[in-house]
Amino acid sequence: MTGGSKKLLWAFGAALALALPWLISDRYIQHLLVTSLIFVIFASSWNLLTGYAGQFNLGHAAFFGIGAYASALLALKLGVPPWIGLFLGGLLAAAAGFLLGIPSLRLSGPYLAITTIGFAEILRLVAMNWVQLTRGSLGLYGIPPLPGFWGLEFTSELTFYYVALAGAALALFCFRRLTRSEFGLSLQALREDEPGAESIGVDTNRFKLTVFTISAFFGGFSGALLAHYQRLISPDLLSLHETFQALTMTIIGGLGTLTGPVVGAVLLTFLSEGLRFVEDAVKIDVRLIIYGALLIVTILFMRGGIVGLWERLSAGRGRDQEEG
Amino acid sequence: MESLFLQQVVNGLIVGSVYSLIAVGLTMIFGVMRISNFAHGDFSMVGAYIAVFLLAWVPGWMGWVGSLLAAAAGVGLLGILVERGVFRPLLTRWTDLDQIMVSIGLFILMENLAQLFFGATPRTLSDPFGGVTVNMGLVSTSAMRLLCFAMAMVIIIVLEVYLNRARMGVAIQATAQNRTAAQLMGININLIYAVTFALGSALAGLGGVLYGTLFAIYPTMGAIPTLKAFVVTILGGMGNIRGAIFSGFILGVAETLGGTYISMEYKHAIGFVIIILVLLIIPNGLFGRSEK
Amino acid sequence: MRLLQTQKVTKYFGGLCALKEVSFNLEQGEVMGLIGPNGAGKTTLINIISGAFHPSQGKVVYHGRDISRLKAHQINVLGIARTFQVVRIFKRLTVLENVLTAMVDRSKEGPWKLVWGSFFKRVCAFKQDPEACATAEGLLASVGLLRYRDEQAENLPYAMAKRLEIARALATRPKLLLLDEPSSGLNPAEQNEQIKIIRQINEQGVTILIIEHVMKVIMDISHRLIVLHYGEKIAEGTPKEVYSDPLVVEAYLGGEAHA
Ligand SMILES: Nc1ncnc2c1ncn2[C@@H]1O[C@H](COP(=O)(O)OP(=O)(O)OP(=O)(O)O)[C@@H](O)[C@H]1O
Ligand SMILES: [Mg+2]
Repeated sequence: MTGGSKKLLWAFGAALALALPWLISDRYIQHLLVTSLIFVIFASSWNLLTGYAGQFNLGHAAFFGIGAYASALLALKLGVPPWIGLFLGGLLAAAAGFLLGIPSLRLSGPYLAITTIGFAEILRLVAMNWVQLTRGSLGLYGIPPLPGFWGLEFTSELTFYYVALAGAALALFCFRRLTRSEFGLSLQALREDEPGAESIGVDTNRFKLTVFTISAFFGGFSGALLAHYQRLISPDLLSLHETFQALTMTIIGGLGTLTGPVVGAVLLTFLSEGLRFVEDAVKIDVRLIIYGALLIVTILFMRGGIVGLWERLSAGRGRDQEEG
Repeated sequence: MESLFLQQVVNGLIVGSVYSLIAVGLTMIFGVMRISNFAHGDFSMVGAYIAVFLLAWVPGWMGWVGSLLAAAAGVGLLGILVERGVFRPLLTRWTDLDQIMVSIGLFILMENLAQLFFGATPRTLSDPFGGVTVNMGLVSTSAMRLLCFAMAMVIIIVLEVYLNRARMGVAIQATAQNRTAAQLMGININLIYAVTFALGSALAGLGGVLYGTLFAIYPTMGAIPTLKAFVVTILGGMGNIRGAIFSGFILGVAETLGGTYISMEYKHAIGFVIIILVLLIIPNGLFGRSEK
Repeated sequence: MRLLQTQKVTKYFGGLCALKEVSFNLEQGEVMGLIGPNGAGKTTLINIISGAFHPSQGKVVYHGRDISRLKAHQINVLGIARTFQVVRIFKRLTVLENVLTAMVDRSKEGPWKLVWGSFFKRVCAFKQDPEACATAEGLLASVGLLRYRDEQAENLPYAMAKRLEIARALATRPKLLLLDEPSSGLNPAEQNEQIKIIRQINEQGVTILIIEHVMKVIMDISHRLIVLHYGEKIAEGTPKEVYSDPLVVEAYLGGEAHA
């Protein structure tokens, strides 16, 4: 693709993203748009840690939950303004991320996977059982919305869409910068071969802690966004299924690519909408069956996910043209 | 006081025997094939449902024995299919990450297919003893739980004998010890993989039936045995069969005692706390890894 | 001038003594060959110098400083780079990216500095930094890899992967380069090519410690040799001296001649 047509595509994409909620007036679909944007951030933050740095974290829901609970509780108990809470939630999650990074200095593969699951499960049990603070499995309700300004309110799907869009754009901008820089290359070196990375001077321990912290910050930020959007959160946010959701979206979209989790999050959120009529008929979650099947198929037959497939196809076309 | 303690130890050993059984399957598969199967507990779930349906059809003793046999056979067969279809194609080219993620896909798929086929309502297995309890001095337990424990022990012992006496069992152990050497000795590695996966899955299925005698059965129950089995497996050293057997009991007892004396709410966290501590202090688990 | 010195370096793996009181000096600018039968402890020695392992006893002194307790990445920053016996390139990065990653100046920049640089540097996307790319391309050209610039490293033929590892090591601007069997598994033509490359590197002033089984390579390029046998240094000297040493002939060459 030439530079000019690429710019055009960007401009078109941005215009579409801005106009989308006006084109679709169905509030349920607007709601799905917001959810998918929040998951774009959440899945991308997991992707930075696991897809780029190769640190297999199955406890990412912990960051989602910490961000959500922290921001919600700060607003409910201490009256901290939600706009600040979004970032404080992220920062608290970042601190937890740093902590969870410590085991990764010594563990990898299944060991790290189980340790991180354990971390999230312990936190989930805390959220379930520390009833005075979290109201247990009832969850927190009445979380204040993001306060409006300049005559804008952020209580409807339509307006919150723009908040989520700004958040996702900010996060993706950061991930793009982070992954293309010397930092990002070092992360990938760490993923590919630890002794090899050490041999060229990469302090793998410090890089692991750093990437855990950054990834957790965005995970927490997305959780806090969700809290002020739904205004009702429960300990389920910390469950394994939330992590699996991010994982499925990222892998189907394309692990270790910037666009992968974006494509995956949007696609899977709307796939569930497409399946709504089937679900109404059989009264169960067909969506998850398809998630599972797609996940298996992607890993077995479509390495690099949708983005990888797209790249292979367009590279193939490029080659044909060159030859032709 | 004392009797409460003893009672909880007994309860812990009973639960622990089921943990051991399920974890032995997981650790065997890891030891031989280096697969960490996050869908392992869903094989237990399938085993439990086989028992649910068989017992509904043939109640009482016959149904109970039949359930165990059918679960072993049915889940073992399922294991063969899954190994062939999902894990075998990846065997030569996967990274840890691919392999774990494919098993997570399987986990999501199986638990939701189960929702579809079995419905979300929790089930329980009927008690062939009709709720009789057995008193043993300071402690008592239901005859059914006692039987569950006995069955778990019998299966574990049979497995031990098989792995150490039968030709195939010895070959499996040899492969776990050293894959290349086993291949050089003319062991058919693909056959070993198939048998190991089938056997490991069958153990999960059997464990599932026994698990169903202790706890409720529902489509998403698989996550719990999966996580417990991983905790046990890591504690015992991944791939170490005896380590898994001992660690199963350790986890069972630690959980019931912790649940009684520390906090019921955090019972399920105990295993995780233990392994996080163990991994940070002794990364190879309590009993070392089986690999060289 | 003395660049590196090992002082009675000893390494145990459990009960196994892989290195026993190995002492030798490396002079600035020389090519030192390190030979010995399989399992003699050659790789272990390189692992210790490069910081992958710490010695059980003894010291490694570099530029007059004891480096035996430093970590691998710290030692690299001090100017010691290495290659591996079994290649450890970054497979899912391109050839250029492999080299670029190694060029990052790590002497003062910890990860958070690099994070900062992702946003506030003149050229944030490292791959688009023309200066860095020019340097990397120069390095690739010097090992004959320029035409593979944008290839995924995992698709490289074996000989090229070995060269990429050398280029990556050079990208860290080392004063001392440790090569672990750089020409094993190569055909004779590729071996000649490899000798040329290594010699060129040495001519630019890089001191080299090279492990090699291929006799021709080691005779061709090393100024001096040391011989390890069961973890002990049994000989040291010019290639000529070493190959006429009866101890060496018995321990090493004898074995080879029979094989
Ligand atoms: N990480 C390790 N743990 C345990 N033992 C090791 C380790 N690394 C090497 N060894 C042992 O130390 C001894 C020396 O090994 P080393 O790899 O240094 O030999 P080498 O001279 O490089 O041999 P080769 O020519 O085969 O590469 C061998 O017996 C080896 O088995
Ligand atoms: Mg060696």
